[in-house]
Amino acid sequence: MYYKFSGFTQRLTGSVSSTAYSPQGLRSSIPSEASTLIFATPTKVISESGASLEYMGANRVPDLQKIFQSSDGIPVHLKRGVPDRLLYRTTMALTVGGALYCLVALYIAAQPKNK
Amino acid sequence: MAHQAHAYHMVDPSPWPLTGAVAALLMTSGLAIWFHFHSTTLMSLGLVLLLLTMYQWWRDIVREGTFQGHHTPPVQKGLRYGMILFITSEVFFFLGFFWAFYHSSLAPTPELGGCWPPTGITTLDPFEVPLLNTAVLLASGVTGTWSHHSLMEGERKQAIQSLTLTILLGFYFTALQAMEYYEAPFTIADGVYGSTFFVATGFHGLHVIIGSTFLAVCLLRQIQYHFTSEHHFGFEAAAWYWHFVDVVWLFLYVSIYWWGS
Repeated sequence: MYYKFSGFTQRLTGSVSSTAYSPQGLRSSIPSEASTLIFATPTKVISESGASLEYMGANRVPDLQKIFQSSDGIPVHLKRGVPDRLLYRTTMALTVGGALYCLVALYIAAQPKNK
Repeated sequence: MAHQAHAYHMVDPSPWPLTGAVAALLMTSGLAIWFHFHSTTLMSLGLVLLLLTMYQWWRDIVREGTFQGHHTPPVQKGLRYGMILFITSEVFFFLGFFWAFYHSSLAPTPELGGCWPPTGITTLDPFEVPLLNTAVLLASGVTGTWSHHSLMEGERKQAIQSLTLTILLGFYFTALQAMEYYEAPFTIADGVYGSTFFVATGFHGLHVIIGSTFLAVCLLRQIQYHFTSEHHFGFEAAAWYWHFVDVVWLFLYVSIYWWGS
């Protein structure tokens, strides 16, 4: 019996030998020997990598991850600061104002036309 | 942030379910007010609130998944099941319209002239624009798959270009359908032929517009480096949805445009 890792169930499932020997994501052309281990190399952040990768702008995801992973207790919908608060307050004002306006409009609509 | 010993996503309290519910209330009440008093104020207010809710809710999901790392493998599994169930429900939504079409066309009543297409209806030629539309949608499926494989291989430039092509083909389809509607020799008021035709193809067109928007959001996210070659479920969900829309079109084309004419 041969096994492979199922991407759907996230578990090991049975498979045929050919799949087990060349699993998905691995290319048979890549040599199987591990490269020489190099210790204590300074880690390179993705956004600092070469300009050849920067097609249509630089990668700002690592910076944004830093902002959104800071533990300040602020919920995710307000975490970006002023623009978030502005948008949130506008939406909430429309929600409360709209609900009241709706109740008034429905009350007026419920009044008989001819008394 | 307190230490978490499991891989599940504990969501922050969110205002969006409330604002979305009020948006639905304003839009439905607004529709009734519009019918009775010829004023679209309340309905437009509801629409603006709905759009604001959609933008901010989905923006937060991107933040949670891409920037906070909450979409771990078990969470992604839940998202997959969610998308599969959603598309299944959409399949049944369209099944209803196909049921109506076949109910009316397989045994046409005497009022229709006992034939299909009904007496007096001039149908569209299935081998003109509808066939082109079929080719356009199939081609967009190919470019979408090209984009997906480019993404998995880390070919950023190709992924962006092929996804752009997919979206452009989607818009081309919508433009052709709009033209076809404008030129159609029958209307939605022309009996059961017109109603089944325009309701089924109209809802399909709406789904094409939604799918194109979904793909466009994926393009913007791809340009901003949100997707990695291993983790890009937003893109996969959009691709699933796009293929679903494609398959519905094939059924519409074969049933309504071709067999039905």
